[in-house]
Amino acid sequence: MSLIMASIKVSFLAMGVIFIVLGILIGVVKVLVHFLPYKAPPVRPPRAKAPAASSQDEDHIAAIHAALAHHLGQAPQNIHLVDITAQ
Amino acid sequence: MDFSFQDAVSKIFHSTGLVAIAPGQGVMIAISLVLLYLAIWKKFEPLLLLPIGFGCLLANLPLSMMANTNEGGLFNFFYFGVKHEILPPLIFLGVGALTDFGPLLANPSTLMLGAAAQIGVYTTLIGAVALGFNLQEASAIGIIGGADGPTSIFLAAKLAPHLLGPIAVAAYSYMSLVPLIQPPIMRFLTTKKERAVKMEQLKPISQTVKILFPIFSTLIVVLMLPGVAPLMGMFMLGNLFRECGVTARLHETSQTHLINIVTIMLALAVGSSMTSETFLTLETIKIIILGLLAFIMATAGGVLFGKLMYVFSKGKINPLIGSAGVSAVPMAARVSQKVGQETDKSNFLLMHAMGPNVAGVIGSAVAAGVFLSLFGPGDVGSGHAAVETLQTVTQSLRQ
Repeated sequence: MSLIMASIKVSFLAMGVIFIVLGILIGVVKVLVHFLPYKAPPVRPPRAKAPAASSQDEDHIAAIHAALAHHLGQAPQNIHLVDITAQ
Repeated sequence: MDFSFQDAVSKIFHSTGLVAIAPGQGVMIAISLVLLYLAIWKKFEPLLLLPIGFGCLLANLPLSMMANTNEGGLFNFFYFGVKHEILPPLIFLGVGALTDFGPLLANPSTLMLGAAAQIGVYTTLIGAVALGFNLQEASAIGIIGGADGPTSIFLAAKLAPHLLGPIAVAAYSYMSLVPLIQPPIMRFLTTKKERAVKMEQLKPISQTVKILFPIFSTLIVVLMLPGVAPLMGMFMLGNLFRECGVTARLHETSQTHLINIVTIMLALAVGSSMTSETFLTLETIKIIILGLLAFIMATAGGVLFGKLMYVFSKGKINPLIGSAGVSAVPMAARVSQKVGQETDKSNFLLMHAMGPNVAGVIGSAVAAGVFLSLFGPGDVGSGHAAVETLQTVTQSLRQ
């Protein structure tokens, strides 16, 4: 009987310790969340469009276009150049 | 040298296990086959029950030298890892690497549900003492209510190694039965109105908080309960691997290959401890009954505390998430979700239940730490003021 009483007392004591430990953890989490709030990652700006081609670029594009069409043996209107900037 | 064919056959026959098999070993072989059946065909925790069952089978084949007590045998070396608290903490490393504390950090008050569910541990402790176990044995049996296999094995190996087999089998068997044990209790203890509560969406948590939490938790828990350092330390280290973002390889290894390898060794070691001398006893039947009591009381404790939080939060917390405080990650959280959706199909409680679910892992580890402080070997936490106080209280209780 005394052992059962001891186990009941141990149970109350242990539950108390568990609630205290986890209660401290709750406090720590609340402090952390308060001082280190979530910040949404900055939205990445859309990639800037390529600047409009200058008249000199247009000459280069026309020359490359013609050379490619001749080399590939195709009509110039079948070839579409996307980018001639250096990588 | 004379050679007699008849003598040779007789000699070979007498060197087989067939003549050495005892009735108790036959019964244990039958039990191991039942475990294999449950694992393979009924899919009851197969990752654990299968190697446990096969370990039990090998340990009970006569002359095989595969029982955990056979010095020099293979499983004796595996058992070394259980006896010397190596394997359960390594499992916890993997569990930590798999755990997302986000839902818990978003709603930290759910940690209390993980504490409340430990009531199952202590009611079982009292029940075990009433059935004739001493306090060390009763503590090892009670921790079954924590629904945490590695913690049960860790504590049993320290406080009652002779009961390791039945405790591990009871813990894992009832964990696999969580979807059957919990729902009737949850329905019985809650009203339809309570079950229908829809909880607010969880707020996001900063990555820095997720990184700091395992470090602070380790500091607090291990400083207060040094005996649980191997479990909590490894659990939180695994989680730090996951959250810190600079140890991807360690995180990957912990949550896959390491936990799988250690699970095989741990389960075989546990299975090899199930010999007829240790398992076929009245104590085993008592442990099976007490294990069920532990799970029922843990579920009830969590749900009742959930009801209390429902009242104090003015109906914002669904008491069903309390049952997830028993640990058994993530099955108990899934049960909360399932029972909630029986009342309202548009109610999603899973993420809310994950908070108390992982809190249950911490809660059961803390409960084990308290038992180790009170009844563990003398070297655990010696010199620590809180532990000494607890030991003094216990001594006075014993007198």
